Amino acid sequence: MWLRFGAIVLCILAAGAAAWSIVPWFDIQRWAAGEQRTFQNAMAGALRGIQAGDPRAVWTLCSATAAYGFFHALGPGHGKVLIGGAALASGATLKRLSILTVLSSLAQAATAILLVGGLYFLLQIGSADLADITETWLAPASYAAIAAIGAVLVFRGARSWHKIGQAKPAAHDCSGHAHGPSINDVATLTSARDAVALIASIALRPCTGALFVLVIAARFDAFAVGCLAVITMGLGTAAFNLTVVTSGVAARRLAGLGARDHQAMQAVSATLHVTGGVLIIAISIGMLLPYLD
Amino acid sequence: MSHKFWGLLFVVMCLGGPAKAHPHVFVDARTGFIFGTDGQLEALRISWSYDEFTTLILFESLNLDQDGDGQFNDADRAAVIDGETNWDREYKGDVYLEVAGQDYPLGRPEAAAVTLENNQVEVSFDLPLSQPVRIEDAPTFLRLYDPVFFYAYTILPAKDPIALPEGCQAQIVPFEPNAAESALQEKLTALGREEAPTQENVGRLFSDEVRLTCG
Repeated sequence: MWLRFGAIVLCILAAGAAAWSIVPWFDIQRWAAGEQRTFQNAMAGALRGIQAGDPRAVWTLCSATAAYGFFHALGPGHGKVLIGGAALASGATLKRLSILTVLSSLAQAATAILLVGGLYFLLQIGSADLADITETWLAPASYAAIAAIGAVLVFRGARSWHKIGQAKPAAHDCSGHAHGPSINDVATLTSARDAVALIASIALRPCTGALFVLVIAARFDAFAVGCLAVITMGLGTAAFNLTVVTSGVAARRLAGLGARDHQAMQAVSATLHVTGGVLIIAISIGMLLPYLD
Repeated sequence: MSHKFWGLLFVVMCLGGPAKAHPHVFVDARTGFIFGTDGQLEALRISWSYDEFTTLILFESLNLDQDGDGQFNDADRAAVIDGETNWDREYKGDVYLEVAGQDYPLGRPEAAAVTLENNQVEVSFDLPLSQPVRIEDAPTFLRLYDPVFFYAYTILPAKDPIALPEGCQAQIVPFEPNAAESALQEKLTALGREEAPTQENVGRLFSDEVRLTCG
């Protein structure tokens, strides 16, 4: 049994590593950063248009922020890591995961709006300090929360492995499946509690770009336009993250292809939990490390 | 688990560091080398031209152009210069000079100036070396980078290049993805044998650089 788990984990990692090495990450990153810069400049132009009272600038701004959100998400950000890992591990459907993705991006936009609405207007905290608060406190807090979710996934997978191991001798005596863990034991993200945890850990850290759009819009007495622009930015981010979710679900289905019976399905699910969890922990800790110095 | 596995994780974590690729501020940088009459390198000239969006953020955070005429007055210029060059002791200005394989200590910004052109704020200043140094055959590199990649620097040719002494050449070497990848690979092989890898400042692997050669 353990040998089989090990083989599955290694296969998934090998496939992942192969996919990883084929993709020209550096070139993509560079290209994405260049596009981001273009749309960032377009946002600036639109904001100046709003200041000058051009009504069309609202649409320019919203399309620029949507594109910015999409290209900004191309970087190895925190949300994608969690969403991709969760899609790999969880038993949730593509539809449910897609809804979660859109909700988490919108929640992230809402955090930015609340932060600027609360701190900037009520407490008169400047944009530089807002960015500082985000980078110094919210970013590492969000990474830590995401790492914790990764740990939960690993724990659930390991517990399920353990149960399958225990259930095995019993399987010789009677028909077996009554003694094994139920599929629900390892299906993550099917509960509301899991969904809230996932959305909250992503929303904890707003995009700094969104904060700046809001603050500049506020300075030009167009906070409402800023809010609209930040929401379309969130939708742009969600659009990219949906491609990540789809790949995660596809990878999960691929891994499950070989499993014929109930117990094998559970073994695969448990293994995917551990794999997804380890990846989430590794990447989020990698992002957290610079903050620990 | 196997070394390969941890190696892969390390690569993922490294990429998570420098290629955190969430640059928010894009800077077109220009550089120059200032030599004394005795032929020693005395100072660096640095200019940072910020993208249009960051320029708007500067307007907001420093409360510039209060009369709204789109021009800087003396107070605006002073505020930008103070915000940009009066930096904390521990901050190095994202400017790193390497002489003969060693990080060379730099002083504080001097002779700062600021302009506003094409909706972009540009700040320029001189950064004296702690001690003037003779370059001759010492390999010298100037790199501009932010270790956490919040700022993305691109080094462009100077608008009014400062003349270099006879026999000296400064060449911009843009960031080359393959070079960074192979350097990272070398690090990995070196680290693979023993203890868990520590997070290094891999940011420099991903930066443009200016190579200065004399003689």
